[in-house]
Amino acid sequence: MEKMSGGSVGEDLFDSIVMADERFRGKGYREGFERGSHRGLLEGRRHGASHGAKLSSEISFYYGFAVTWKCLLQHNTDVKSKKRLKALDTLLGLIQDCPQSDPQSVKLQEDMDRLRAKFRQVCSMINVPADFKDFVKTSEGTSF
Amino acid sequence: MMAWVKAISYNGEDVFDESADDFNLLSKEWASNMKKRVRDGYVDGVDAGEEATLQLGFNQGHREGAAQTAAVGRLRGIVSAICCWCQIQHPESPVPVCVTSLLQQVTQHEDRIMAGIRDALENPPPSVSVVSESMEDLEVEQADSKCCGGGGGCKDTGCCKEGEKIDLGAPLPQKKPFSGSTDCSSSSSESLDLLMQRCIDVVLELGLPQELISCIQEL
Repeated sequence: MEKMSGGSVGEDLFDSIVMADERFRGKGYREGFERGSHRGLLEGRRHGASHGAKLSSEISFYYGFAVTWKCLLQHNTDVKSKKRLKALDTLLGLIQDCPQSDPQSVKLQEDMDRLRAKFRQVCSMINVPADFKDFVKTSEGTSF
Repeated sequence: MMAWVKAISYNGEDVFDESADDFNLLSKEWASNMKKRVRDGYVDGVDAGEEATLQLGFNQGHREGAAQTAAVGRLRGIVSAICCWCQIQHPESPVPVCVTSLLQQVTQHEDRIMAGIRDALENPPPSVSVVSESMEDLEVEQADSKCCGGGGGCKDTGCCKEGEKIDLGAPLPQKKPFSGSTDCSSSSSESLDLLMQRCIDVVLELGLPQELISCIQEL
């Protein structure tokens, strides 16, 4: 910083430069902020849509699968069928409680892990053939 | 720094004795420096603005994306379960073609929806990808301009103008990658209705419980 010789005049000038500096920077900042807000919203929305679609696809699949098996087994009274129905109800309960509409939920990942484990258990209980995994497209590996 | 002081001071109090040529030079330097300030501010503002709304946008998109695959995902689950049921009930005979082909079509339908969303993700509309388009609009007024000066002079149209409004309500741009192909010309909700109807037909054909039909209709 160069020394000013003019005392208070120099200080005034210095102040006005700093102010001008801030003013122009602020003007750019405000315009940038508005633009950035718009961009962030669109960018977030596109990524959110992709993530939400994958998650919903997986959970909805489990739901359709469980509901159908419940319909198919509902009138069976044997012990095996009752066990299966109980597991299906548990699965449907987990789906119900899953906070899938709130991507910021801290328990979403944990709930999804439990949901997937329960689904695998249900599949083995109803003797779903091994090649069934071809039908299941999970969103596993997606980061929350 | 000294140069700006001179440029400014010439404007106000005539402390320094400078020639007109020098003044023009300094004035230009002043303008270019202030332009740089605006750019610096702009870049920081874009980052801050983006950070402020990213999560909000993500949450909104999340709901929209989820809504797009919920029905078709359920239908895929239903048809998959029917498929498994057939295999288990009649392990000796192949699963009826009406079931396997329906499962294939439902899966394809869902894939199309996902492809559309993925496409929108990977190929954002140009208004998003062109970051600096409005940088050119950021003209810095000359140092002696009244606009934005000393408070209160901000009524000019070009100054401090409002940018694009943040629009939360507009739907996501939907791309239809297969619009030209033969059997996919109908809108996605129409073909989902069709697939649901076919699923109901399968339930009736195989003599499966009536309750399944109401499950399908609730999709």
